[in-house]
Amino acid sequence: MISYIVRRLLWMIPTLFFVALITFILMHAAPGGPWDRDLSARQVDPRTQELLNKEFGLDKPLFINTEGGNPLDSQFFNYIGGALRGNLGPSYRQRGMNVEDILFKPPEGKPIWNSKFGYSLRLGLLALGLAVLFGIPLGTIGALRRNTVIDYFSLLISTIGISVPSFVLAIFLIVLLAGRLKLIKIVQQDWSSPGAWIVPGVILGFGTFAFITRLTRSQMLEVMQQDYVRTARAKGLSEKVVVARHMLRNALIPVVTIIGPALAGLVTGSFIIEQMFSFPGSGREFVQSISRRDYSMIMGTTLLYAVLVALANLTVDITYGFLDPRIKVGK
Amino acid sequence: MSNKKWAAILAVLVIASMLLAACPAPAAQVVKETVVVEVEKQVEVVQTVVVEKEVVKEVVATAVPEEEAKVLRINLGTYPDIIDPQKSSFVNEIAHLQMIYEGLTRLDPDLKTVPAAAESWTYSDDATQLTFTLRPDLTYSDGSLLNAERYAYSIRRNINPETAGEYAGITDEIAGAPEWRACDPAGDAAACEAAAATVMESVKASHADGTACNADAPYEDAECNTLTLTFSRPAPYFHVVSSLWVTYPAKEENITEGGEQWYNSSKFQIGNGPYVLQSLEPFVRGYFTPNQNYWRGQGMVDIEYSYITDSAVAFEAYKNNEFDIIGGAAEDLEVIKADPQLSQELNTYPGSCTFAIMFHQLKEPFTDQKVREAFAMSFDREAWVRDVLRGLGAPTLTWIPPGFPGYDAEENRWGFDPEAAKAALAESSYGGVEGLPPIKLTFSDTPRNRTRNEWLAAKWKEHLGVDLTLDPVESTTYTALTKDINTAPQTFILGWCADYPDEQNWLSVYWRTGGFGERIGYSNPDFDALVNEADTTIDPAKRTELYAQAQTLLTDGAPVAFAWNNVNNYLIKPWVTGIVKTPQDSGWSGIQEPLTIDIDTTMKP
Repeated sequence: MISYIVRRLLWMIPTLFFVALITFILMHAAPGGPWDRDLSARQVDPRTQELLNKEFGLDKPLFINTEGGNPLDSQFFNYIGGALRGNLGPSYRQRGMNVEDILFKPPEGKPIWNSKFGYSLRLGLLALGLAVLFGIPLGTIGALRRNTVIDYFSLLISTIGISVPSFVLAIFLIVLLAGRLKLIKIVQQDWSSPGAWIVPGVILGFGTFAFITRLTRSQMLEVMQQDYVRTARAKGLSEKVVVARHMLRNALIPVVTIIGPALAGLVTGSFIIEQMFSFPGSGREFVQSISRRDYSMIMGTTLLYAVLVALANLTVDITYGFLDPRIKVGK
Repeated sequence: MSNKKWAAILAVLVIASMLLAACPAPAAQVVKETVVVEVEKQVEVVQTVVVEKEVVKEVVATAVPEEEAKVLRINLGTYPDIIDPQKSSFVNEIAHLQMIYEGLTRLDPDLKTVPAAAESWTYSDDATQLTFTLRPDLTYSDGSLLNAERYAYSIRRNINPETAGEYAGITDEIAGAPEWRACDPAGDAAACEAAAATVMESVKASHADGTACNADAPYEDAECNTLTLTFSRPAPYFHVVSSLWVTYPAKEENITEGGEQWYNSSKFQIGNGPYVLQSLEPFVRGYFTPNQNYWRGQGMVDIEYSYITDSAVAFEAYKNNEFDIIGGAAEDLEVIKADPQLSQELNTYPGSCTFAIMFHQLKEPFTDQKVREAFAMSFDREAWVRDVLRGLGAPTLTWIPPGFPGYDAEENRWGFDPEAAKAALAESSYGGVEGLPPIKLTFSDTPRNRTRNEWLAAKWKEHLGVDLTLDPVESTTYTALTKDINTAPQTFILGWCADYPDEQNWLSVYWRTGGFGERIGYSNPDFDALVNEADTTIDPAKRTELYAQAQTLLTDGAPVAFAWNNVNNYLIKPWVTGIVKTPQDSGWSGIQEPLTIDIDTTMKP
């Protein structure tokens, strides 16, 4: 098992290298650069651009330095070299700040989970927690009480969740809860109170919740037809044991599979929530960096996402072994 | 699965939920104390002719209990990337700086340049030297001395190539500035040193009698109240430039101590402006309290910035009384106008930008003036403002917008006239629609721009019979394309927003050969001659006349179709009083004069 994990972790290195390479090629293939700005205002003058390019190393060749000296003294390899040492490079737009500081450094005197990434991670976990906590039971009950009111209700909720985009849901909840019922405040100035997190968490997790509900339901329906379920019933096991031990456990394997990537998606996908609730997470860095050509931020957030997906997938693979002893990891 | 495993999973969930509930950081301690300060201060307002003198004796009680503080809650939208006077350049960044700092001069509600930290200024006879005299007893918000050396430091820092500020070029009139910015320390260190030394001499703080300030402790010298700027050419408009944020006197020791990220900490953002940055929580809120040491008096309310970028959510929050001022989004305009209450709270007034449909002078068919005239005359500006902008704009036929010096209300050429347009096209070297080469209408691909450009293409088809191809491109790609004369599209919509209210900024900076208008290939030697003369003319009346001639000359050639001026559009709650509106209100309504703003608490629900 340990050697399996180590092997998987080692495989991440070439994976990340190619993710970095592809991202780097794509972002430099797009025209424009970090100093391009709104055209109706004064442009950054050429000399200042030159100075900035020099300051940020953008005057170096992209891949191979053919101008003599070290051939690896290029933008790409300097970046990789820095990243290996934990230096994700300076942000081109938030001057004076390194990408890792922007993402991981908490405000002065605050613990690490108050960093931007910490905020996003917590919100992502909350959203996933809510999705799992409500999605699996609802899907299970829907399958067990098939074609009853409960089943139709779960189907309705999950269809809404899958088809309604989160920004529509967000506005709907804001109008309902804040505008009409006056239950919450829209402008949150204090993210340290747990109550403030509920609405953003629900909005972020709703799509995943809907997906988990539908997946659990369809898997349960399939498992219910299996011979071993009939056998379990035939040997007189209580309904509770049949459902929990024989049906649910088998039905959950595909659900667990999607949880990994879903978590990575939720952690980096809080962009809309951040825009709407002035939530201090890292999702906006992920999205905005692209149109602003903040190269190091694009690289940093993409690599972070890649690491998250890789780790999530690894965790999922390991979890399979616990859920289904027939699956042997490491072989 | 055994009960034990379930218990373990449950335990993990419980722990996770506790973690998620997010260990609240201890709330900031509110220190409640009443400080009684007796202030005797002399306010001296000296303009060129009028001398006013008054002695104010007052007792100031600070630190009002928090629940009683009146707070003006503003949604600013995007959180700033950088709040450094010599590096910032975006509206939302300047909206912070303008609260904390003040320049040598400032703009009054009519966009006239009036004394600020400097009580007066004089130009030398040939306008190559500008001397500011600072107010006596000027201090920062923390009570420390603010003298001319502070401004000298800021202006030099703006020029210094190590700063690499995005607005560094705006002070290039100062002798030695372009050379210092252009030199390469690795290549020619001596030239760099020489240029830096020239700038040190061109930006010079001194005593009123011209003697040098204390060199050992320059910032402690209370008599050091004179700042002399020497230009490489006459610059009779530079007192207007001196109101810009690039001259704001952030403290050198704070910048040094705080390092690259000094601007993120309210501890280092000590300024001389009307407000003090009390706290700054990135992306969540910025909180300002009145500066008790500000020379013009104290604001009556605290100011709180929020950073919600989604306009629909900001609008809901406004309706929910969680904001006092927000920008009115075009999408919400119909709702606002239909609502009896909200329509009263809507404030729409002229802004500081002019937009035009650009024609590339070097790309066919717009090389032909008659074609440009035809396109300009077949564009119905009234319909555009009404149908496309939904009233959020004002049609214009000239370059400088109303409210700015140099506005030409008389200009009426190339207005909407489809018949004349067709005639002009027939007169052109292409002889009519059939002879025209394919024309692409290029724009940054957003839903809004799509609607706008589809409308434009449809109307040109209707009024002129021309078929245009729509050419949407990704936004940054669009920026990159349009700023280069070689890649700039045949035709596209573009605007210019004032840096400072002076004709020089509109005409010389934009349309002189080598200026920003060069991207569409505009270059007119006669125009250059006129603005060059105007820029160096000291007599204000003659200068204005020369700029007026230049603007008329610009319109003669119909280089572009002047289209519309933007408007400021804000929703303001009825209990907010004393808002002074100006065309330069690009951060929020009233930002140019925050001292008069009050909140009538009796009106609040």
